[in-house]
Amino acid sequence: MVQINLPKNSEVIKGKYYQDKTGSKNIRKVNVYRWDPSTEENPRLDTYEVDMDNCPSKVLDILNKIKNEIDPTLAYRRSCAHGVCGSCAMNMGGKNGLACTTPHAEIDGDIDIYPLPHLKVKRDLIGDLDGLYKQYQSIEPWLKNNSTKDTNEIFQSKEERAKLDGAYECIMCACCSTSCPSYWWNGDKYLGPAVLLQAYRWIIDSRDEERKARLKKVADELKLYRCHTILNCTSACPKGLNPAKAIAEIKKMIAVANV
Amino acid sequence: MENKNPLTPHIQIYRWHISSLVSISHRITGIINILAITFICAWVSFLVLGEVNYDIINLFLNSFVGKFIAIGLLWSFSFQILSEIRHLALDMGYGFELQTTRITGLVVILGSVVLTILIYFIGRNFI
Repeated sequence: MVQINLPKNSEVIKGKYYQDKTGSKNIRKVNVYRWDPSTEENPRLDTYEVDMDNCPSKVLDILNKIKNEIDPTLAYRRSCAHGVCGSCAMNMGGKNGLACTTPHAEIDGDIDIYPLPHLKVKRDLIGDLDGLYKQYQSIEPWLKNNSTKDTNEIFQSKEERAKLDGAYECIMCACCSTSCPSYWWNGDKYLGPAVLLQAYRWIIDSRDEERKARLKKVADELKLYRCHTILNCTSACPKGLNPAKAIAEIKKMIAVANV
Repeated sequence: MENKNPLTPHIQIYRWHISSLVSISHRITGIINILAITFICAWVSFLVLGEVNYDIINLFLNSFVGKFIAIGLLWSFSFQILSEIRHLALDMGYGFELQTTRITGLVVILGSVVLTILIYFIGRNFI
């Protein structure tokens, strides 16, 4: 259901202010969403003054700097720092992206850092993606081919392989799904762009034999057709993929597939 | 067990961009148009009951508020038509590239204003 306001326990209150101690002249204010599960308090927005003279170019570098030099209690996910693992997906300057590939120079004014939108927060910048992973499991993202023996190679032409380009590169960071207003309001039923892009990836795989069953599975008013081409997903994807187009292609396939 | 943890902010913090703006406006103008069509149908039905009813509504539409509403509806219809064409293209699988969505979105927004002015002046000169 559409719910514009946050629940009472989720309203963000003003937090602590960490003044710069380095005496640097090149300071930027960084507002970070904080929530500690061990307290009963509401989430708060802490402000850090960060010395930009000694900070590399990405938003993740700012977070590392805060954690290492100012406030070690800050919690966030990160791993590869090269835009491959998808761990550091968050909302920066009002847009979802990977902290490790988003330059802080692209954000005007104070830098606002929130967790991915409309998730249950686990702690600070860490959102709960369990629901999304369950949905990912529901589309059965593995090859289904019964006519070939397990030991045999399944051939695929270059053209057929090329169809997977733009779909297989997805790193499941959830930037797209959590940017989608339809997913905010109907995330319990609507599969969301990330999972639908993966559904598409298996539907168009020439080696897969369950194409029709897969189409039938997603051909659902809520699972698929809650996509209203708002296109937040495509503009959020840090890998430059196009989930909205993949969803449109699924809709087209269903329209002519007689499922 | 129900998860009682806070919900992270969503629409409060997410930045608007052209295609999300066009999408929400498409919905709002859609609702306005349904109401407007109902209103126009009622007006036409009143004509059956005699000339006086026509005069009342005609007078209202030529007042300041009436003109504001009429021009507002012109815009709402213009926007809906252009946005619908954009949606038809999207449904056929065209125009999903990020740059294209921005351009078509801008065309819809600016085009709706141009179309409003055009229809208004054409209407004024014919009637």
